[in-house]
Amino acid sequence: MELLINRIFDGLSNGATYALLAMALVMIFKATTLINFAQGEFAMFGGFIVMVLVLEQGLPVWVGVIVGMLLSAVLAAGIERTLIRPFDPSDHLPLVIITLGLFLGINAIAGIVWRFDPRAFPEMFPSGNAFTWGNASLSWYTIGTLVTIAVVAGLLTLLLNKTKTGLAFRAVSSNLESSELAGIKVGPTLQFGWAIAAAVGTLGVAVFVASPVRQLEPQVMVTGLIFAVSAAALGGLDSLGGAIAGGLAIGLVQSIVVPYLGIPSELSLFAAVVVLMLVLLFKPAGLFGTAAVERV
Amino acid sequence: MSNSTNKSAPKGNASNGSVPVLDVEDLRGGYGAIQVLHGLDFQVDEGEIVVILGANGAGKTTTLRAISGMIERTGSITLRGDNIGTTKAPDIVRKGVAHVPQGRGTLPELSVEDNLLVGAYIRSDNEVDSDIEQWYDVYPVLRERKNQRAGSLSGGEQQMLAVARALMSRPSLLLLDEPSLGLAPIIVSELFERFAEINRENGTTMLVVEQNAQLALGIADRGYVLESGTIFAQGPADELINDDAIRKAYLGV
Amino acid sequence: MTTPRFIFDEGSSRYRMYRIAGFTLLALLIVVVAFAYNDTGSITLFDNDYKLSITRVTKSISFMVAILGLQVVAGYTGQLSLGQGFFFGMGAYVAAWLVADHSWPWFLTLAVVVPACFLVGLLFGLPALRIKGLYLALVTLGLAAIFPSLILLDILEPYTGGAAGKSVDSDLVPPGWLPLDGMVDTLHKLPLVGRYFGDGEGLSHKEEQRVWTFFMMVLLALACFKMVNNLINSRPGRAMRAVRDNETSAAVNGMSLSYHKAMSFGVASALGGVGGMIYVAELGIASPGDFTQLLSILFIVGLVVGGVGTLSGAVIGGLDIAFIPDWASSTQSLPGVPERWLQGPTGGLILGIGLIVLTFVLPGGIIAGVRKIRAKFVRIIPQRPEPYVEAIQAAATTNKDEKATTV
Repeated sequence: MELLINRIFDGLSNGATYALLAMALVMIFKATTLINFAQGEFAMFGGFIVMVLVLEQGLPVWVGVIVGMLLSAVLAAGIERTLIRPFDPSDHLPLVIITLGLFLGINAIAGIVWRFDPRAFPEMFPSGNAFTWGNASLSWYTIGTLVTIAVVAGLLTLLLNKTKTGLAFRAVSSNLESSELAGIKVGPTLQFGWAIAAAVGTLGVAVFVASPVRQLEPQVMVTGLIFAVSAAALGGLDSLGGAIAGGLAIGLVQSIVVPYLGIPSELSLFAAVVVLMLVLLFKPAGLFGTAAVERV
Repeated sequence: MSNSTNKSAPKGNASNGSVPVLDVEDLRGGYGAIQVLHGLDFQVDEGEIVVILGANGAGKTTTLRAISGMIERTGSITLRGDNIGTTKAPDIVRKGVAHVPQGRGTLPELSVEDNLLVGAYIRSDNEVDSDIEQWYDVYPVLRERKNQRAGSLSGGEQQMLAVARALMSRPSLLLLDEPSLGLAPIIVSELFERFAEINRENGTTMLVVEQNAQLALGIADRGYVLESGTIFAQGPADELINDDAIRKAYLGV
Repeated sequence: MTTPRFIFDEGSSRYRMYRIAGFTLLALLIVVVAFAYNDTGSITLFDNDYKLSITRVTKSISFMVAILGLQVVAGYTGQLSLGQGFFFGMGAYVAAWLVADHSWPWFLTLAVVVPACFLVGLLFGLPALRIKGLYLALVTLGLAAIFPSLILLDILEPYTGGAAGKSVDSDLVPPGWLPLDGMVDTLHKLPLVGRYFGDGEGLSHKEEQRVWTFFMMVLLALACFKMVNNLINSRPGRAMRAVRDNETSAAVNGMSLSYHKAMSFGVASALGGVGGMIYVAELGIASPGDFTQLLSILFIVGLVVGGVGTLSGAVIGGLDIAFIPDWASSTQSLPGVPERWLQGPTGGLILGIGLIVLTFVLPGGIIAGVRKIRAKFVRIIPQRPEPYVEAIQAAATTNKDEKATTV
C-alpha cells in the first residue's frame, strides 16, 4: 500500500513535467494546428540556459529559472519571426520541416556547446521529505512540482482570459479570418504563443532535472517529447487543462501501470506510445479536446 | 432616407452633398489567374443601405473581399475620401470598415461576450462595456447566453452576434456578406427587420450582398445587380423590385 | 527566357535517343562507382581523410529505397511519416533472422519482408481516416521511438540478438563466371584514370563480394524505382495524387480516401523494409542503436533535401544522408573553424541548418534546382493526349489512358 502511495507521488511529479511540456505543445497547436517537433529541444536548451545562469553566473535558483524562461521566450519569439512567419500558416509541410530542422540543429548546438555528459542541475525545491508514513513519503520535490503546475496553470488562465493579448490569442486560435477582420495582428499574436510555449517548456525541463535522481543532458527531451505528445493527445490537443490531466495521467501510467503489469521500466516509453495510439485510434479528440469538424 | 429617383443616374445623389462613405471606381480583382471583377463603379452614401444582388458566381462576395483587402485588387476605393485601395484585411477595421464574412465568422470556442470584445479589439476607449450592454438590450438573447460558447448558438443568433461584433468597432461602413445564408425563412425576415432598425436608429451605413433579392431590396435604399463581374443594373430599390427584367432573372417571377 | 538548346518531343526518336543517352550515362556511372576506389580510396582535403567506399554507396542505396517509400506517402498523398526507420529496422531484422537462423538466400527474404512490412504499415495506416496528416505523423513518431526498445524485449532476444545485434555471416557471392577481376584490371589499364581502379592485381574475395552486392542492390533499387514510377502513372497512382491535392474533392469524386491513404502507407512501409534488407545485407549486422528515432528524422531530411514528390530526389536524399554525417565527423580540422565545432554532432547541425535553408531557398529540394538548370538547356514537350472523340469513335472496349506528364 505504501509502495502504491510512493508510486502515485512519483507518477504525479513526473507527470507534472510531462504536463508542462504538453502545455507548451498545446499552446502552439491551439493557435496553428502545428505540432512543434522541436518543442522538446527548445525546452532542453532553456534548461541549459538556466543551468548556466545558476551554476556559472551564480544567480539564485529561482531567479535563474525565471530569467532562463524569459530568455528562451525571446529566442522562440525570434525563431517565430524569422523562420515561421514567412510561411502560410495553413501549409503545414514546410513548417514541419522547419521544426525538424530546428530539432536537429538545436540538439547539435547543445551537444557542441555543452557536450553530452550529464550535468548536475541545481535543486529547485528543498530536498528531503515533507511527510512520512511508515514506508511512504511525500517529498518536497513532489509537492514543489505540483505547486508549480498549479501556479503555471493559474497564471496561464489569467493571461489568456483576462488580458487583451490573451483574447487575441484565443481569437486567432478560433477563427483566423475573423480575427484579422477585427484588426488583430496574427503574426505578433502567434509569436506571443511561441514565446509562452518556450518559457513553459523550459520550466518543465528545469523541474524535471531538478529532481535529485536526474541530470541534464542534451538528449533528455528526445524521448521526453514522446511523453509530452502522448500527454497532449490524451488531453486533447487544443485543451490546456487537458494537457495537465494528460500529463499527470501519463506520469501515473508510467509509475503505476507499468510495474503493475510487470513491464520493465525501460519500456515505459512503450506504454506512453501505446496510450498515444489508443487515443488516436479511438478518441482522437482526447479527453477534453474539441472534435475537429471539417466543413466540406 | 429617400434619395434621388433618377433611374439613369449612374450613382445615388447624396442630398446633403457630403462625401460618400464608400466610393469605388473601376474595381478589378480576383483569385490569382482567375479575375472575377471586371471594373465596378459604385458608391454608398451616408446612412444608406445599399445591396449588391446577383446570381452565384457573379462576384458579389468577391466585391466585399476586395473592399476589405482580403484579395488582390486594383481600382480606386475611398472611404469618406480616405484611400483604402491598398489597405489589407488586418488594417481595414482601423480605417472604419467592419466586414461580416459569409458564414458569419463566429469565433466558436469563445463566449458570446468574448466575441463582442474581439469586435472591440481596436478600441481603447472606456465605452466598450456600455456598448456591450446596449447590444444586450437590443438582443436580449445575447445577454442570456453571454457566457456560452458562441458556437452553440443557433444560426440566426450567430448572425446577430456577428453584426453586433462588427458594430462594436463603431465603423463607418458595415459590410454584410449573404446574411441570410443557411437560415430559416422566418429567422431571415426577422433578421432583415433588425438590420433596417439598426440603420434607422443608429444611421449605420451598410453594404449588403444578398442572394435573397426580395428581402434585401425590401430594406435597401438602392441596389446594384452584378453579373459576371460587371454591374448589369442599378437604381433605387423600389424601382429594381418593380423592374420586370430583374424580377424574371432574380426574383423568379 | 531564352529558348533551350534542345527541344524534344516526347515520343519522337530524338527523344528516345536522349533517354538512351541518359541511361547509358547512368550505367557508366554505376560501373565506375563499382570499381573505382574499391574500399581503398579516400580524398584528403584540409588534412581530413574522407573515405569513399563502395560499402557506403551501398548503404546509401538502402537509404534511397527507404526515402523512395517516403516519397510515396509524403509526396503523393501529402501525409508525413516520421517512422520510416521503424520499417527499415523491421526489414533489416527480419531479413537478418531469416538468413542467419534459417539460411535463406538474401533475395528470398523479400518474400517475407515485403508483405510483413506492408501489412504492418496497413495496420497503422488504416485508422488514417480519423485525422489528416497529423495522426500519421504522431503515430509514426511513436513507432520510431519504441523500435529499439522493442528489439531489446527479452522475449524477442533469441531472434534479435538483443543489444549486441544480429550478425549475419552470409554474404552475396558473385557467380563464378563473372569476370569481375578481369573487368577491374581492364579498367586499370585505362590511360589517365586507370590508377583509380584498383591496383592491377584483381580483386580480393571480399572486394568481389562488395562489388557484386553493389550491383545486385542497384538492380533491386532500380526495380523498386521502376515499380513506383509505374504506380504513380497508373490509375491508383493518379488517385493517390488526387488525394494529396484536394482531399475533399477526391472524396466527393468517389475515391475512398482511407483506402488510398492506407495503401500508400503500406507501400511506403514495404519499401522501408526493402531498404532495411539492403542495409543489413551490406553491413552484415543489425543492431538496435542503428534504428532509432534519429534515423527516421534523417530519412525525412533526405526526402526534403532531395525534393519531395520526386523519384530522383530519393536518390539525392539517400546519398546525402549516407555521406554527410560521416564526412562531418571525419572533418577534424577546417581552416578558420574552431576545433570544438567540428566534433560529434556537427553532421546533425549541418543537416538541420540545411533543412531550414532549403525550405526557404529551394523548397522543392535539390532536384528542383537541378531541374531549373536543366530547363535552360532541355525542354521536353509532352505528348498530347489523343482527342477524346477519336478515342470514343475508335469504339475500343478498353479506355486509352492519357499519357501522364513527367513527374
